[in-house]
Amino acid sequence: MHIELSQFEIDENTFEVTINYSDIKFDKNDIGNTIGYSDGKLPPHFEEMIDQIITRFPKKCNINAGYRLLNLQHSTDRKDGLLIGNKFFQMDKIVTSQLKKANKAALFLCTIGNEMELWAKDLSQKGDSVLAYLVDIVASSAVESIADILHNRINQAASKLGLNVTNRYSPGYCNWSVAEQQKLFSLLPNNFCNISLSDSSLMKPIKSISGIIGIGTKVKFSQYICDRCGVNDCTHRVYLLSKANKANNIVL
Amino acid sequence: MNETVDAIGVCIEKGKVNKSSSYPIDLQGQDGADELTLQALTQNIAPDEILKTCNDAMQRIGDKFGRNEVFVPELLMAAKAMNTVMVHLKPFFQAGSIKTKGKFIIGTVSGDLHDIGKNLVSMVVEGNGWEVIDLGVDVKTAKFLKAISDNPNSFVGLSALLTTTMANMASTVKEIKMEYPKTTVIVGGAPLSEESAKIMGADGYAADPQSAVLFLNRKIA
Ligand code: B12
Repeated sequence: MHIELSQFEIDENTFEVTINYSDIKFDKNDIGNTIGYSDGKLPPHFEEMIDQIITRFPKKCNINAGYRLLNLQHSTDRKDGLLIGNKFFQMDKIVTSQLKKANKAALFLCTIGNEMELWAKDLSQKGDSVLAYLVDIVASSAVESIADILHNRINQAASKLGLNVTNRYSPGYCNWSVAEQQKLFSLLPNNFCNISLSDSSLMKPIKSISGIIGIGTKVKFSQYICDRCGVNDCTHRVYLLSKANKANNIVL
Repeated sequence: MNETVDAIGVCIEKGKVNKSSSYPIDLQGQDGADELTLQALTQNIAPDEILKTCNDAMQRIGDKFGRNEVFVPELLMAAKAMNTVMVHLKPFFQAGSIKTKGKFIIGTVSGDLHDIGKNLVSMVVEGNGWEVIDLGVDVKTAKFLKAISDNPNSFVGLSALLTTTMANMASTVKEIKMEYPKTTVIVGGAPLSEESAKIMGADGYAADPQSAVLFLNRKIA
């Protein structure tokens, strides 16, 4: 797969990555799976609605993605987390065990903007709850896909320097408290990627993802990371596993 | 049973709103819940008979949802068809000849802006014969308390999507229970569970709109 490495250093070690809507590959089976339908079982009526939403998506998105590279270190006195930049992040072993061999971390953000959520809200208000629901599902799938693409781009930038990357981890997953979003955002420029964070640690636009990727010579990407996590009803696990099962084409 | 009423039941279960709606494919071009309800009323069929048929149909689609035979979109289509019937039955509700099951106040708690999950629950609960009062998103405790005081004997539903806003939910539940100990509070949203609902003092938890309906219906049974 050939992807143009279009990233701009907007600040020291801080990059904006250009991702186009056409880079997103919507997979209707995946979208159907999220709703509950097994492969090929998405009723044609809803499939048509999803097609229409995907067709309008280019006009309804405002994609922003970027990351900042920071030093990653162990704290001398605390074992329950890692020092990234000048902040101590309290993390579970699930995360630290994967990141500990890294000496750099990419703190990333990405979003598809707020147009899709406004569209869904408007539809809900007009009583078209099915379309609203499907718009919401497609929007979630789009931003997940943006995060995959950003992850790939960071991997490509790293490998040019002979470095490897880890899986990505987000506050709120793998027993890493969502309140740690405050620290993550404090290490990024104000309004980076046009995303803001509320006191309750909610990102605006809603369809946004934040997280961290470890970088170093000794780290590696591990496909089946969920095995180590005890959160059994996490749907992200279902998503990752179905993706891993379906495609061995993850280019990491 | 009357044929028209039976046909209304089929429309609800299959989510056929009106004649022009293209869903579902096998009922295309046929009258939907909208037209059939008007016909039934002109035939002087008792509104409570229509309502009962609709409730039974919602129960059937709900059961299918419980068995994973259909999913949220089908459930919403059924609720939409049901809401069309309710528009025609509204005058009878107002005149008191038939009754809603009760009032359900719902909102997304303070600090949280997620509304899609809450809206789905509203739509399906309403489709099951409840009057829904939707307070929107980022709803402060005081607003819930005012709505409860304005609508005595109502049931309350709270939604949250992050563990951080779940903390706000817990304090809203606590304050509601302090002021209105008899008010039934049900909570939902991705980070919630049966256990966390219990810890925060809520009366119930539901993972999806159908379970919310079952919970509410049990409370009035
Ligand atoms: C899709 C998804 C996303 C999407 C879209 C998010 C969105 N809110 O639109 C994206 C990828 C953008 C995303 C981002 C994030 N997410 Co997310 N996401 C999910 C996922 C997989 C599904 C959520 C969803 O949209 N479901 C569909 C809607 C319709 O369902 P729902 O809102 O839950 O509502 C249903 C039920 O909950 C219930 N219900 C809802 N309200 C009510 C109310 C009552 C009264 C009742 C009875 C029932 C009820 O009925 C509804 C219909 O079935 C969940 C996991 C899960 N198990 O649900 C995680 C989840 C919500 N995300 C989570 C997290 C942490 C995040 C991020 C913070 C990660 C990050 N650092 O980037 C961000 C936050 C984004 C932000 N704006 O701040 C956590 C939240 C828990 C926590 N730790 O705080 C979850 C639970 C995953 C996990 N860790 O297990 N996420």
